[in-house]
Amino acid sequence: MTILVSIALLFLTAASAQEIIDESCFHCHPAQVNEFKASIHSNKNTCADCHGGDININGTVVSINVMHTNFTGKPSPTQVTDFCSKCHAESTNVYKESIHWQKLNEGRPAATCTDCHGVHNILSSKDHNSSTFTENIPGTCAKCHENQTRMQALYYGISTDRFDTYKKSFHYKSYMSGGKMLATCSDCHENHNTRAQSDPKSAINPANLPSTCGKPGCHEGANNVFLSGGKIHEEQSVYLLSFDAKRIVVYFYIIMILFELTFTCGLIFLGIASKFEIRRRH
Amino acid sequence: MVELIFKRFTLNQRIQHILFFTSFILLAYTGFPLKFPEAWWSSWMIASVGGFDNRTFIHHYSGLVMIGVSVYHVVFHILEKPRYDVLFNLKDIGDFKQQMMYYLRYSDEHPKFGRYTWKQKFEYFGAGFGAVIMGFTGLLMWQPFEAMKYFPIGLVQIANLFHTWEAVLASIAVFIGHFYDEHFDKFMNLSWLTGNIPEEELRHEHPLEYEAAMKNRPIGSSEHVEHKPANNLLIVGFAKLVFTMIFLAIIIWMLWISYSVLVEAVRIYIL
Repeated sequence: MTILVSIALLFLTAASAQEIIDESCFHCHPAQVNEFKASIHSNKNTCADCHGGDININGTVVSINVMHTNFTGKPSPTQVTDFCSKCHAESTNVYKESIHWQKLNEGRPAATCTDCHGVHNILSSKDHNSSTFTENIPGTCAKCHENQTRMQALYYGISTDRFDTYKKSFHYKSYMSGGKMLATCSDCHENHNTRAQSDPKSAINPANLPSTCGKPGCHEGANNVFLSGGKIHEEQSVYLLSFDAKRIVVYFYIIMILFELTFTCGLIFLGIASKFEIRRRH
Repeated sequence: MVELIFKRFTLNQRIQHILFFTSFILLAYTGFPLKFPEAWWSSWMIASVGGFDNRTFIHHYSGLVMIGVSVYHVVFHILEKPRYDVLFNLKDIGDFKQQMMYYLRYSDEHPKFGRYTWKQKFEYFGAGFGAVIMGFTGLLMWQPFEAMKYFPIGLVQIANLFHTWEAVLASIAVFIGHFYDEHFDKFMNLSWLTGNIPEEELRHEHPLEYEAAMKNRPIGSSEHVEHKPANNLLIVGFAKLVFTMIFLAIIIWMLWISYSVLVEAVRIYIL
């Protein structure tokens, strides 16, 4: 009886799946296996490469058979880098210089490979659905960097308006208006080698900004430029006699626009009203 | 009925005006979609000029046309042929006061204007200062990395702020104020195209200039023409209807833009 029920259940699961996959993990984790099958790793790796265990054992019997070898379950963020480094040694080594790894190594939560590249559904960065495709990168970074609770909880002192301020730049506005994304997060902050601004090796350290902006294809020949303050996401404060110039400009124009709207619309209204007066008198 | 026709704008001035307003409209049309990329009309307007790169190209070169006209205007009209009647004088204060008194029903007498009313002088100098601000800041924004060889990045960002705010200010002045006063209130005012102003209109709008012109008029200096009463009422009425609708749409657009920039500025800089 129990065998019949389990066969019937198995048949239902297999029928509901788009593709019948003859792999032991699939029977219990169809969503993950399907994602993995669609990913760029599907022909090169197996589940066991990251999770351990033995995928060749028939999983329909009992799951313990699958897990009888060195099954590790969900790898920790630091373990993830070990798995990736087996094939992507260079990228992992570069990543291990970054602030993300530095914090991760200190035991604090930070982005590891899978946070940006995806877990089972890793795609080539040239794929339009990939989380590391140029136009999807801001959303990928914003997952953590726009998350106020996450950023505040970590006490890293990172403001959560980076995506919002980036949206105001020409680099992004072009994309929003149907053009191409002119520069995305990783173009300036580096992808694997992301570092704090205070780090002298950082691409966004004020001293390195001219060469970062002057990359080939971007603002070539950007030498000897005044990028000294190094604030790109927000307007740099320029002080005129201890008053912030941008505030002076904005306050001036707020008053001017309010004055002009009142004046222009008021005069139009008075002009129309005076015409009616003349018509009534005649 | 015989009516005199007076020359108000020379061909030179009319060409300057046409170049200036064409570039102004193109600049506003290709500039505001960039200011509000999330608005529903933004992508529509950019698509209508053929994509983002075309938008940038049109914006840059219309800007150059505007700078060119402005420089030409200064060189020609101030160095070659200076005019002093366009400068502000004490009479404008009296005119303004009198017009307010008239509007607010404290007086039955409308002020008598000369060749340029106080409002037209405001518009003229507003356009002049606007073109200077937009021209300089626009050039800085066109080549920010060239600009940053001479100015710190903070100043280039301030230029950006000036550009965007001055654009809103200038567009309100032109699309609401100037359109209403010169092209809607005096419909159909064709003096921007023909350069002529009819006697009736001159006497009504600029009585002092009319009196001076009639006093000094050498015989045969002005053209005598047959005044034809408008027999194309249908066409004029239709034109007025179409113009009114376009004008209303532009006013709503301008009010939406000013509301958005003010709300955003208050949210960021004041709250």
